[in-house]
Amino acid sequence: MDEFHNGNEGSFNSEEADNIVKECIESTVGGYDYSQSQVNKWTASIVERCLTQLVKLGKPYKYIVTCTVMQKTGAGLHTANSCYWDTAVDGSCTVRWENRTMNCVVSVFAVSIA
Amino acid sequence: MKVTIVIILFHLCVVLPLKEKKKHIRSFYFECFKTTIGESSYQHSRVNQWTTIVIEQCLGQLSSLRQPFKYIASCVIMEKTGAGLQAANSCFWDNSTDETCTVHWENSSMHCILTVCSMAI
Repeated sequence: MDEFHNGNEGSFNSEEADNIVKECIESTVGGYDYSQSQVNKWTASIVERCLTQLVKLGKPYKYIVTCTVMQKTGAGLHTANSCYWDTAVDGSCTVRWENRTMNCVVSVFAVSIA
Repeated sequence: MKVTIVIILFHLCVVLPLKEKKKHIRSFYFECFKTTIGESSYQHSRVNQWTTIVIEQCLGQLSSLRQPFKYIASCVIMEKTGAGLQAANSCFWDNSTDETCTVHWENSSMHCILTVCSMAI
């Protein structure tokens, strides 16, 4: 359901977003174990940081950033996205990250304004 | 544009303010979950199909409204084992025209969270 547009003029650069998101996740939760008291702060911090970095790129897009953090206990987790938009100029990027105690899935959606 | 931060606290079940149109849409989403999943137990082999069906029904219904909006639908299904789950959204858009709607549904073996964002063209 996700579509990636790489290297096209006027379309979303998902590779750039991928690097931004990975860096935001690493700097927020890298090295920590899952903690119920902290997880609220972490998810808020991840989405805020990603959004700030994306807006700094100065491109004519609206952005939606979603972050899901789940404790590793062997439970099954399934996420799916579907988008009704202009595939030529809009795009998304999903990053899956994990450490010993938690899984983190961050999705960035960019919707063109121009 | 303004930055809107919507933090969904899974274990507190935040209730979003309802307008008439939203009420109708939210009950449609609940109905999607009931008819697609119902009382089925979590099954790894079927969960992909469930998320696909729910999302396709939701986007189908929204696109049939023929309004000048782009839509993003996101569905999360998690097996109930006592694990903690936290989800958050943040949006950089036009607060006067764009909005989001999140629905949490559950049965005895799984939690489902559906988030739909609509953005004016």
